[in-house]
Amino acid sequence: MHERSLVQRLLHQVQQIVAEDGGGRVTEIRVQVGDLSGVEPLLFQAAFEEMVSDLFSSECQLALDIVPVMAVCDDCGQQFEIVDFQFQCPACPTGAVQVIQGDEVKLISINVSSDNPVEGVAS
Amino acid sequence: MNQRTIIVKKDIQADQKADAAVLREQLGRRGTLVVNLLSSPGAGKTTLLEATAQEFAGRRSMAVLVGDLETDRDAQRLAPLVPVAQLTTGGACHLELPLVQRGLQALGDPAVDFLFIENIGNLVCPASHDLAEHLRVVLISTTEGDDKPGKYPKMFRTSQVMVITKLDLLPHVPFSVDAVTEDARRIHPELDVFTNCALKGEGVSDWCDYLEQQHQQLLARYHATAGNH
Ligand SMILES: [Zn+2]
Repeated sequence: MHERSLVQRLLHQVQQIVAEDGGGRVTEIRVQVGDLSGVEPLLFQAAFEEMVSDLFSSECQLALDIVPVMAVCDDCGQQFEIVDFQFQCPACPTGAVQVIQGDEVKLISINVSSDNPVEGVAS
Repeated sequence: MNQRTIIVKKDIQADQKADAAVLREQLGRRGTLVVNLLSSPGAGKTTLLEATAQEFAGRRSMAVLVGDLETDRDAQRLAPLVPVAQLTTGGACHLELPLVQRGLQALGDPAVDFLFIENIGNLVCPASHDLAEHLRVVLISTTEGDDKPGKYPKMFRTSQVMVITKLDLLPHVPFSVDAVTEDARRIHPELDVFTNCALKGEGVSDWCDYLEQQHQQLLARYHATAGNH
């Protein structure tokens, strides 16, 4: 399951970013998973729940946004959603399209709470 | 109690992708075309590599990094033919870049024309990991069923080449080369498609001609000369 290695990577990045930002208790991690990311959201969620307490409190939530695949046509420049993995411009019969969204896993934001500003500095 | 939101908006694999791009550039400048081979287990990656090594023998230099869950059987098959390093993942379902870097070191950083990476047999996870390849090749054997592309869109979208293997079994299995090609090209219209039966040597020279073409393009791109770095 490569979801586990991605979650591990995510948690370490969050830890580092929060430490550089002054520390605190991580309450929510918002992640965007594209339909073409190769990540199975349910497995990602399960891996997160299993591993989150290694670095943070098990109270820390994962907010998972699934985003559709978007592409742009090389010929006419139109942007459109890829449905059923058909990578074809609706206007042009042939021609290449480039994926502009939906092929990655993105860390969007981190919610942090701190009881007082001096306390809770992550190591 | 203070609450704050840190906005990040970053691909969690961004660093790995950047590292892969650096290595791809380095190897490209040196004149080495990196080919990442992916497939389900048993689709014939090792057999194709054996046939490729025989075809290139005395003409083109190559080395192979073999990813394996546990055994080194595939590496042993190739070792008499070409320099091989075994990459053991310890049970992980895909290779990652640090393993490739270690494998290159184990081979003494050879200035070969082709570096093949035989990935772990799996059509899901390896698709999400850039191993610094110039060419990603997905193998599908006629024994697998021709509905694979639709089931594994990321794999077929991110590969530049599809190789259909074990063509000799075609009369005995419900597999249509046209159907699988059509299915794959809906996902990736520019996909290059090859068919072969590597065991009998059929279709291997077309595949090797294509690799040499790709290698020439790489050299032209970097204004390098073969074997010179
Ligand atoms: Zn168009």
